[in-house]
Amino acid sequence: MSADLSQLFGHFMIAIILLFIIGAYCILASFNMVRILIGLEILIKAATLLIILAGYICGRTALAQTIVITLIVIEIVVMVVASGVTLWAFRNNESIDPRKLSELKG
Amino acid sequence: MPSLFVLTPFLLLVVVNLPFKFLRKQIALWPAVGGMLVAQVVFSTFYPLNIGRGIADPFEQFFMFGLSLDSLSSIMLLIIGIVAFVSVLVASSMISEERQVFHFLNLILISVIGMNTTVLISDIFSLYVFVEITALAVFVLIAMEKGKFAIEGTFKYLILSAVASVFMLTAIAFFLMAVGSTSFAAIKDAFASNSSDAFLLKLGTGLFLCGLLIKCGVVPFHGWVPDAYSAAPASVSVLLAGVVTKVSGVYVLLRLFGTVFILNAALQNTLLLVGIISICFAAFASLTQTDFKRMLAYSSISQVGYIVLALGAATPLAFVGAVFHFFNHAIFKSLLFVNAASLEKRLGTTDMDKIGGMGSKMKVTSATSLIGLLSTAGIPPLSGFWSKLIIIIALFSAGRPVYAVIALLASALTLAYFLSLERKVFFGKVVASPAAETKASFGITFSEVLLAAITVAAGLGFAFILNTWLLPLKEIVH
Repeated sequence: MSADLSQLFGHFMIAIILLFIIGAYCILASFNMVRILIGLEILIKAATLLIILAGYICGRTALAQTIVITLIVIEIVVMVVASGVTLWAFRNNESIDPRKLSELKG
Repeated sequence: MPSLFVLTPFLLLVVVNLPFKFLRKQIALWPAVGGMLVAQVVFSTFYPLNIGRGIADPFEQFFMFGLSLDSLSSIMLLIIGIVAFVSVLVASSMISEERQVFHFLNLILISVIGMNTTVLISDIFSLYVFVEITALAVFVLIAMEKGKFAIEGTFKYLILSAVASVFMLTAIAFFLMAVGSTSFAAIKDAFASNSSDAFLLKLGTGLFLCGLLIKCGVVPFHGWVPDAYSAAPASVSVLLAGVVTKVSGVYVLLRLFGTVFILNAALQNTLLLVGIISICFAAFASLTQTDFKRMLAYSSISQVGYIVLALGAATPLAFVGAVFHFFNHAIFKSLLFVNAASLEKRLGTTDMDKIGGMGSKMKVTSATSLIGLLSTAGIPPLSGFWSKLIIIIALFSAGRPVYAVIALLASALTLAYFLSLERKVFFGKVVASPAAETKASFGITFSEVLLAAITVAAGLGFAFILNTWLLPLKEIVH
């Protein structure tokens, strides 16, 4: 790794780690199903950035591009299903607090 | 040849969705999907017998990501075919509304496409894509009835599965950084060559393991398993417990940690520890359950623990045992979930406090459930005995006698909780008579008998299965 590349790597890594921390905090600390989904979205974005960085470092940007585009499609479909479930939960419970989803235990 | 396993369900999916009214008639839909799955079972059975292996694949150029059919994937295709067929059979007697039938069959076709491709693929990112496609179809299947429990189960599964995906994606990024490619062959070479990027490879392996353990539902990450299994409609819980979590979690674990990655001592110890904790914790937890399906879910966690434990031993014999236990577990756990479906259809509940003395009224269900649970507990000569025996012998010969002894003792615990279940549900006093005297449907009875017959046959014909299906597996383990 040249000096230029390692400096870029360092800056990128700081941004990615920050995004991971924000996303994880968002999932763990909030009691709102929509916010949990936003937190997941931030986590996936951090992973996407990491894949772009990986493609740049190993010199295979075309491969990284195809992976990222596929990933964006998958992520959107997951979010559509997740928000559908959230909508049903709201219609059933009149609330999007995940603490109210506690009927199943044991 | 391998591409047919992907293209046939895909073509069927397209045909079913063509805008012609007569195609949506139930009378055409059930046989089409069922027939496709039977064909899959037949073809994947033929593979190890060396029939049709030389036929050139006319569709090969469509798939740039390399489908390959080896002895491990042929066993997986067989399991997917059997369990999905049983799930369709059970659904055909549980779901009657035309629109629901249409949705169910579409989703099950998508999940079969996802699972078939998952077991055939040889590229780590494409593997992730198809695991996710399977999971998406199943989220909707679980939530299909839109009840309170269904939504809670789906939401828990969805969030944990998405977190697992983030772990797996991060791992894939590290592999890409270290290897420069995402194909299994390139990653295997990078592990073997011991290059300077060993740290990135180790980091990637650890992260991927975290993601997979969530998907498998073994003990530190098991929270979603009982909720999702018990909240799902009966036919979906057969599919979910039988193949979906097994293919998207355990198969990927077997494929990557058995044949691609090279396990170091720390990783082996982690797998052994996770396996043994799952076996013991889940066995104790299922002793206290009062719901039939939740008890089966905890038992499922415990049985997956045996597979993870065998993988931790990291010998070819242990790998063979793990794959055989995978097969047996898929069959007898589906059998027990079909029994639960039968009880649910007859009585409208699976709460064991409200059920009793059903043995004389539901003869087929009680007899087949006895076969299923004796096989789970590892009583000879049923199939579960042989796979547990291989795993325990492999643990002894790998120099891990303590784990072998604990695994053996936990097997007795399995017998304990299943006997208490059997005593409550099928023997004992009649607590409540069936609300409606419905006749047992043909679909459920047939699938119970079919799965019980496979369990008994796999136990009695163990020598043949070992030589034909299991020993070729040793070639793909390094």
